[in-house]
Amino acid sequence: MGERTEQAITLSLPSSMQHVYLLKAVVTEILNETDFDEDTQEQINIAAIEAGTNAIKNSNREDTGKQITFQLMPTENELIVSTLEESEVFKHKETETAQVIMLSLPSSMQHVYLLDVVVTEILKGTDFSEETQEQINLAAIEGGTNAIKHGNKEDPRKRASIQFILDEDKLTIVIEDEGDGFTRQEVADPLDPANLLKSSGRGLFLMEACMDSVTYEANGTIIKMVKHLVELEAQ
Amino acid sequence: MQVNVRHKGNITILDIEGKVIGADALALKSIIDQQIEAANNEAEQEEKLNLILNMERVQMMDSSGLGVLVASYTTIRRNDGRVVLLNLGGNIRSLIVMAKLMTIFDCYNTEAEAIGHFL
Repeated sequence: MGERTEQAITLSLPSSMQHVYLLKAVVTEILNETDFDEDTQEQINIAAIEAGTNAIKNSNREDTGKQITFQLMPTENELIVSTLEESEVFKHKETETAQVIMLSLPSSMQHVYLLDVVVTEILKGTDFSEETQEQINLAAIEGGTNAIKHGNKEDPRKRASIQFILDEDKLTIVIEDEGDGFTRQEVADPLDPANLLKSSGRGLFLMEACMDSVTYEANGTIIKMVKHLVELEAQ
Repeated sequence: MQVNVRHKGNITILDIEGKVIGADALALKSIIDQQIEAANNEAEQEEKLNLILNMERVQMMDSSGLGVLVASYTTIRRNDGRVVLLNLGGNIRSLIVMAKLMTIFDCYNTEAEAIGHFL
């Protein structure tokens, strides 16, 4: 399994039928990048949804406390959907009722669009305003890009993991990479006139501008960002 | 993301559509670089690259996309060319304002005005 699993795109969801659409969205996007013809893509998609539905309904009996994990392996001519149970995804969860959706990717910039698909779909189901959804979407993409590009240096053997923890009053996004880490204070200020015309270095600044809080843990290899459903200034 | 390349006289217009994020930002950079290269290789053309980036159909842009705009601006200016932005949507405009880059770019709301910049 070793090398093949390394290339897998992993999506972990609470066992609820309301999240099946996320699996469908990710499978659809992955299939779009393959050489399968349209009919075959449709067949694979249906099979993937059937497998997901079966796991959620029959194996986990729609118990949202149980997580279900899909490993999607896009190779030249196959796409394998497997289901596993995992406790690893709960490690950042603070409350019993929180729902966790996790996406784990090999570190390639080609996969950033999958993160966009997942975060867009998750946000659609929340009460955040359209403008706030755009801010959260941008922050998530910046975090994922930071992990893939700067943390893991685009090494496909290293994984970037993005967790979305949905509570009643807030969304927490936890992004982990397998790189050497960094010190936030040592990252140059992109608004400094000397840096304005630099072509990179704005990612962390934008994350901090878009979210209510951003914290750096484990030497910067874990970034935790929070957006409260009720805007802080409105309270 | 999709990019359509048009020419109007000595002006090159890129109609950009979709999300300029991740690998697509790099793809946009490569398309702009090709235009810079083509302008440099055009022996008979005295004018350097005059580029309009039409952002009307850009749904979203991240810091990688913003970096491409900045890199294009500096490279084109270094080659005596000029670049302007057309039809910035609210979220793209906010992004450019947040990054304090509004003073760097010339922005227009109609193609006629953008073309007028080069006349």
